[in-house]
Amino acid sequence: MKQVLNDAKVKFTLRALGLVMLILAFLLLVPSAEAAFPEKPIKIVVYTGPGGLIDISARKFAGIAAKYTDVNFVVENKPGAGGIVALKKVIQAPANGYNLYACTKSNIAKFVQVGGNDYVDALSWVAMLMADPECIITNRQMPIHQWADVLENARQNPGEQNWVGPAAGGLDHVTALKIWDKYGIEAKWIPFKSGGKALAALLGEQGIAYVGNPRDALGNPDLFIAAVSSPQRLEAFPDVPTFTELGMTDLENEFMWRGFALKKGTPPEVIEWYDELFKKVSADQEWRDFWAKGGIDVAYVAEAEFYTLVSEDAKVFEYYLKKSDILPGDAVGFMAKMASGTTFSILAIILVCLWLSGSYMVHMSQYSAILGRVLVIGFFLIVSILFLLQSMNFPSSSAVGPAAVPRLWIFMLVPLNLLLLFKTFRNNEAVAETGPRVDIVLSFIGFLVIYLFAMQIFGYFLSTFAFIIAGLYYLGYRKWRNTFIIAGVWILFSYLIFYKTLYVPLPLGMLFENLF
Amino acid sequence: MELLSNLGDGLAFVLGVVPILTITLGVAMGIVAGATPGLSPSMGVALLVPFTYAMSPTLALILLVAIYIAANYGGSITAVTINAPGTPSSVVTAFDGYPLTKKGKPGMALGVSLVSSTVGGIIGTLILIFFSGPLARFALKFHPAEYFALAIFGLTTVASLGGKNWIKAFIAAMFGLLLNTIGIDPISGVSRFTFGISFLYDGFALIPALIGLFALSEIFKQLESGDFSSQQVESGKQEWPTAGAYWKLKNTIMRSSFMGTIIGIFPGAGATIAAFISYDVAKRVSKHPEEFGHGSMEGVAAAEGANSSSVGGALIPLLTLAIPGSASTAVLIGALMIHDLTPGPQLFISNPDIIYGLLASLLLANIILLALGFFGSRLWIKVTTIPKTVLFPLIFAVSIIGSFAVRNSFFDVAACLAFGVFGWILRRYNYPVAPIILGMVLGNIAETNFIRAIMMGGWTVFFTRPLSLGMLVVAAASFAVPLIQARKQSKIQENDK
Repeated sequence: MKQVLNDAKVKFTLRALGLVMLILAFLLLVPSAEAAFPEKPIKIVVYTGPGGLIDISARKFAGIAAKYTDVNFVVENKPGAGGIVALKKVIQAPANGYNLYACTKSNIAKFVQVGGNDYVDALSWVAMLMADPECIITNRQMPIHQWADVLENARQNPGEQNWVGPAAGGLDHVTALKIWDKYGIEAKWIPFKSGGKALAALLGEQGIAYVGNPRDALGNPDLFIAAVSSPQRLEAFPDVPTFTELGMTDLENEFMWRGFALKKGTPPEVIEWYDELFKKVSADQEWRDFWAKGGIDVAYVAEAEFYTLVSEDAKVFEYYLKKSDILPGDAVGFMAKMASGTTFSILAIILVCLWLSGSYMVHMSQYSAILGRVLVIGFFLIVSILFLLQSMNFPSSSAVGPAAVPRLWIFMLVPLNLLLLFKTFRNNEAVAETGPRVDIVLSFIGFLVIYLFAMQIFGYFLSTFAFIIAGLYYLGYRKWRNTFIIAGVWILFSYLIFYKTLYVPLPLGMLFENLF
Repeated sequence: MELLSNLGDGLAFVLGVVPILTITLGVAMGIVAGATPGLSPSMGVALLVPFTYAMSPTLALILLVAIYIAANYGGSITAVTINAPGTPSSVVTAFDGYPLTKKGKPGMALGVSLVSSTVGGIIGTLILIFFSGPLARFALKFHPAEYFALAIFGLTTVASLGGKNWIKAFIAAMFGLLLNTIGIDPISGVSRFTFGISFLYDGFALIPALIGLFALSEIFKQLESGDFSSQQVESGKQEWPTAGAYWKLKNTIMRSSFMGTIIGIFPGAGATIAAFISYDVAKRVSKHPEEFGHGSMEGVAAAEGANSSSVGGALIPLLTLAIPGSASTAVLIGALMIHDLTPGPQLFISNPDIIYGLLASLLLANIILLALGFFGSRLWIKVTTIPKTVLFPLIFAVSIIGSFAVRNSFFDVAACLAFGVFGWILRRYNYPVAPIILGMVLGNIAETNFIRAIMMGGWTVFFTRPLSLGMLVVAAASFAVPLIQARKQSKIQENDK
């Protein structure tokens, strides 16, 4: 069997190869002539996972847009870092209008914290489609739930009131900061992982007020909307007073918005095409009805005005985030300087090199068992030291700042490792579970790394096909027919299930993406 | 009783042809989603939300909840057959499920995990139906101090998980906790240890770490041993548990189901902590604690009973208070909103048909899960008969697509590979890897609630609230007892010498 592959197998192999070639040729020959925008499906890049409000908005938009244009909109979820991951995806792609960024006001807070105005200016803010006002929600079961009482109580106990809501530095937090600022009161912001969990704390009487969307109070009669920040009372909540009515004119228009942006430099004719579409969708009755039910205002603000709005938001965020120490101040002190920038990187590289050369010595040495154990301990110690140095850089405005808990873990990790080091030297038995074929493991790791790089260039499907065949061959599997069937079935499965059904945007590779 | 008549109406509704088909479809899809590493129950639910737009609200919810339940069970299939837990909570199932497969008895593990899942799911549902009101009021009283105490309690399970290697187990857990601090600090909003890499602003995703530390490190280990020409299990003869074997596990399953439901109520704590704590307790009260970690059926039952019953618990705050207890239930809130329903206590009054239809469908979904799982087990046990030379490259392919699917990001794929290599090195030197996952799951809950509690009530708050103090005392005891026992035993051994 080793010497000659029999005829049937050769034929099959050739056929399979021929099929691949055919598909490739077909893909390459598809005409890619110049045509008017849009000539292929448009991706809507959503910065959260499926199921959130912005995701629902994007999907609903795609559905309604289908009435007015033949082009397909495909929603792609790129969650992470409050929108930065999705933003990078959009601004790294060409400015051809095929990547539409579904954005909200919360993104601006994150942009300001991470990239300043650079990120705001990296986009063309095409259209704002929805706006919902911010409001204060209290617990009806608590004696203090009217806005006047909350204020009175805050003045009597400055800095003692607990306000609950989602993440620090987000829109709701900044709105709270602004409200405190305008009224001249002080309170504490207790952030929770989500608005829902903050509402649970409010219902559990652990906080006095919650800042968020009026819709959050629906469905639970104990939740009471104390004040809303809009010019007039809301249609869906006619009993809720506005801040203006309550005597504060500076808080009449704090709202959350949702809209769409494109990469800066997108051709004007593409933006015009979008303008037309956004206008039609905003006027669509089904679209308006869908959002009206949830008490969300359908608005339409076009590019120039939207950009002004966004840059205003960015300024307000920057002001309040600096004020509350979330935007890092300048590092001070020797240790902080050590921990920052180049010194830190150089130190990290030196430590890693030391560790790597140690690993090599272990591999070569007769004491490999004990040295290996020491090196693992060394790895944990190095990580601890690097993290400890980094934590010197964190702002420390309150007693339990962002450095407190990581240091707590480090201060437990270090003594445990030292104890283990002591024990390792005391009872010097070889306990490592090593096997004879480290070479196979290392070459497989090499394969995987090559595979990952190949995926970027040739795309998921081709490189995975090759990887599976190579992997089977390397491990000594020689039934060629089966090999091709296995690889082919996997490709088909991942295409149908992951790519088509679950909309996982498997990379098609630079080669293909640039060709089409 | 109004409740019973409402429930009767609900049962009458779900026993129709269309609802039964819907539930069956949901259970089947859920099993697949759960069994695929990288597709968590919440993703399975979330991905299907758009398909439910056109359905009636009750049917849509029934479908989504069926997926949720089945995905929690589905995670155990790959945990048992290839040591690749499909969901974070099935990490605990892998502790004993995979050793059983290595011993050539995957059928025992699959059978026990299916039956414990079903029984756990039904118990969780019954508690949800009859006690959701009082339990929801109790849940609201949880202060951040209590969440912190619960997280610490969860961490102390490391002491008994590690056994003789307890120092290494704790190092692994602390390392997991430290890894968890990478990213934007949820309390202060400051970005920590991200080194300017934007993918790290949210920290390491759990699923790629899970796949790397368990599935990839296991393959690397077996590659290193040079033994990969065979298959894991001889095909042909398969051993399944007998009715007597299930009956012996009744106490373990019941106990874990109750614990799972209660822990599931804590919004955010969920299935994973429930599984760890229940496993720990099962080991302590077991007559054969030495079998745990080497293929104990009690261990599998404890893990699966707890993680499946936690579904019922997580639905309590969702339905009664509109507060999501887990990522999956958060997606369900979105689904309710799309169908123009506002979750919360009002829903019981305004739409009792939907609520009780949903509750009745939970019972039915568990029964359908048992049936589909029974036939399915005969099918996916075949995975263990695939030659390793074929299986290993395919597991790499699954791991890579699974870790990519979590956030559609290459960074996660690279992280998965790095975790795989790291896990392999750790396991060479006898470090358990499960505590790293536990640390990564608990780190956020422990830290944010620790700081929240101090912000709200000062440093003493942990000791002045009776519930929190009680939980911390139990945690301290559960930490100390195994260490003292281990010490005594080693003294006895030394004396014997």
